Amino acid sequence: MALVATQDTSAGKQVYTKWCAGCHGDNGAGDGPAARHMIPPPRDFTGAVYQIRSTANGQLPTDADLLRSIDEGLPGTAMPGWKNRLSDRQRRDVLAYIKTFSTFFADTTQRPQVLEFGKEPGGGTGAEALRVGRQFYDSIGCRKCHGDQGRGDGPSAPTLKDDAGHPIFAANLHENWRFNGGPTTTDIYHRLRTGLDGTPMPSFSDLIDQKFLTETELWRLAEYVRSLSPGEPPVVRDVIHAPLVTRVLPRAPDDSAWNAVDTYWFPLVGQVIHKNRWFAPAVTGVWVKAVHTRDSIALRVTWDDRSASPDSAWLGHLGRVLATVQSDDSTREQPALWPDQMVVEFPVTIPTGMERPYFLMGSSSGPVYQWRWTSASRSAAVAGLARGIERFDSLPRGGVGARAVYDHGQWRVVFTRALASLDTASQLPFRSGRAIPVAFFALDGSNGEHGTRMAVSTWYFLALDEPVPARVFISPVLAMLLTLGLGMLVVWRAQQKTSYRRQQ
Amino acid sequence: MRSYLRHPFWQAVGLMVIAYILIVFIIPALPGSAVVPKSVVLQYMATVLVGVLIWVSDDEARWTTFKEPLHDVLVQPRLKVIRTAVLAAVTLMVGCITYGQVKASVAAPPNLRSIHPAPPSQITFRGKTITLVGLDNPLRRSGDMAAHLAVGHRIYYENCVPCHGDHLDGQGHYASGLNPLPANFQDNGTIAQLTESFVFWRVAKGGPGLPREGTPWNSAMPAWEDFLTEDEIWSVVLFLYEQTGWKPRTWEVSAGGSK
Repeated sequence: MALVATQDTSAGKQVYTKWCAGCHGDNGAGDGPAARHMIPPPRDFTGAVYQIRSTANGQLPTDADLLRSIDEGLPGTAMPGWKNRLSDRQRRDVLAYIKTFSTFFADTTQRPQVLEFGKEPGGGTGAEALRVGRQFYDSIGCRKCHGDQGRGDGPSAPTLKDDAGHPIFAANLHENWRFNGGPTTTDIYHRLRTGLDGTPMPSFSDLIDQKFLTETELWRLAEYVRSLSPGEPPVVRDVIHAPLVTRVLPRAPDDSAWNAVDTYWFPLVGQVIHKNRWFAPAVTGVWVKAVHTRDSIALRVTWDDRSASPDSAWLGHLGRVLATVQSDDSTREQPALWPDQMVVEFPVTIPTGMERPYFLMGSSSGPVYQWRWTSASRSAAVAGLARGIERFDSLPRGGVGARAVYDHGQWRVVFTRALASLDTASQLPFRSGRAIPVAFFALDGSNGEHGTRMAVSTWYFLALDEPVPARVFISPVLAMLLTLGLGMLVVWRAQQKTSYRRQQ
Repeated sequence: MRSYLRHPFWQAVGLMVIAYILIVFIIPALPGSAVVPKSVVLQYMATVLVGVLIWVSDDEARWTTFKEPLHDVLVQPRLKVIRTAVLAAVTLMVGCITYGQVKASVAAPPNLRSIHPAPPSQITFRGKTITLVGLDNPLRRSGDMAAHLAVGHRIYYENCVPCHGDHLDGQGHYASGLNPLPANFQDNGTIAQLTESFVFWRVAKGGPGLPREGTPWNSAMPAWEDFLTEDEIWSVVLFLYEQTGWKPRTWEVSAGGSK
């Protein structure tokens, strides 16, 4: 194979074998030992098909493109950024070595041509710009896969495969921190121009050539897509503060009272602790809000889910997922119509010390108190005790209410319960002013999740806030009076001195 | 504008602003740097302030000029509005800070975790009793090292990568969802400090096998004896040391007891 003589690929091979082969395989075919625990799977270098490029659809990437993926990693996948992990030299060496896996790179007479991207035109965040962006979002077919609201729930979403036949999700455009090619408007514009080769995401450069839209209009689309995600990626805050509301408890998921309540983000990851483990969770996190009245609590859990399971449209996708992800038991399970599920977990009593039950569904000796909701019976939730991941006993007189809404790729479920507990031995009594451990588990039935296959969180906390008592204001007011008094004294003294000097 | 630039008071203000921009915006942008924590910013700014004060008070004339604007704000009738505004702002700030201090807010309880709790002297591994004290990795004495490492490499990538990461630095793609964070094997405070038998124990028994001071209820580390054989665990332990370049802590030959 003709190689570029100036590049030393033996050093690159060493780096590759040590740090890359575990996922990408010894021969670069994307078949390392970790590969079957990942969706999307690791890149197969032998085909030289790359998603993140600055070149036209179907072209090879430039060295700078490949180096960027090595340096920054691919957010939303298992590929980390190696910029701070390997030296400049090592990364350049490994880049040269990766190219030797494919003969396409051997022909050095054809240099990949970088597209002319231009600069982002001004006025991108105004309402008019976003309206134009949205108009093209609809007209060039983004919504077919990414959905009306951009959560990757479009009508074609269940059918998507990459070139190797692996299942692939249309990106949830509300989570730009998981965009493979980067989160910025410029990154999005580049992906629109180049497409994501090897995936169903096409390039839209030809629409510019055909004068269907202008570059500015495509920038507007990129700006619209960017506007769907928050300005900054969500930051995890440990304690959910549930304010006291004097009005009635907002039991409906879309009650306007929720708008005024602070929202908390908690990331979820695959359950990889108990057999059977699950390496490809579909739910990436939950947004939680909570309020309480003098006698009841309402907790709203919102999460993005591309399907209101069970949905037979997703059976094909489900089968592909089960075929791609290696399972702990050798038998491959047949696809079935499983529902979506959400579990909210608390200890049975508020702990006084730091000791708590085991975060993952308790244990036989230390049960946890859970609220379980499934999309099979939308407006109901079951309260019960879990004693390990396999055992759940529902409680009679659980007293937990649930109201759910599925809206364009998003579930919003409100759980309600009385603060006091009918049975303090098994059902947590809620008390204000205490840090109450809470954890979340989500299952997307259409992604093959049921039983132990789920997305999990660790322990976080819920606090029912009391209104600030009047005595708390005493010391700030005193401090302010003192400061003001001292300030006026200083001014008065300074003025006295000055006038005294003048009189002299 | 010129006169402002020459005035020691405005020069001092300018220096403070430049220092703040440097610490808060420029330093994090340097390669290999992180965002400067607030408390450290406060310390740096206090140091800069002391330095600036020393500089302005070093020269008598400069000190007098420096004080002028401050004095003017206090006494000049034409600056009454600014005077009132400064007084009000300082008062309000003190009120807010005090309120923030006295307001009761529920915080997450401190996570007082013993990172490397004392290991038991022996464990039961799938019904077999293994004495940890004085135990070395048996694979170092038997068989083909390259073959052991190949097994360890495979086991690591099949099982450990999501949390402990490709670089073994505890930053796998699941790490951000876990608390406590997965162990960073590249750090000099983890496997570099431990005997291989300790690492074997932690891998075999996982989070649920931790003693109470290790907060077993929080750890997402699986008990790998449910998934891996004894030799597979020893192989992956071997791999951890090989890949990071650390040497395991060894037992004293004569004592045969404590580390």
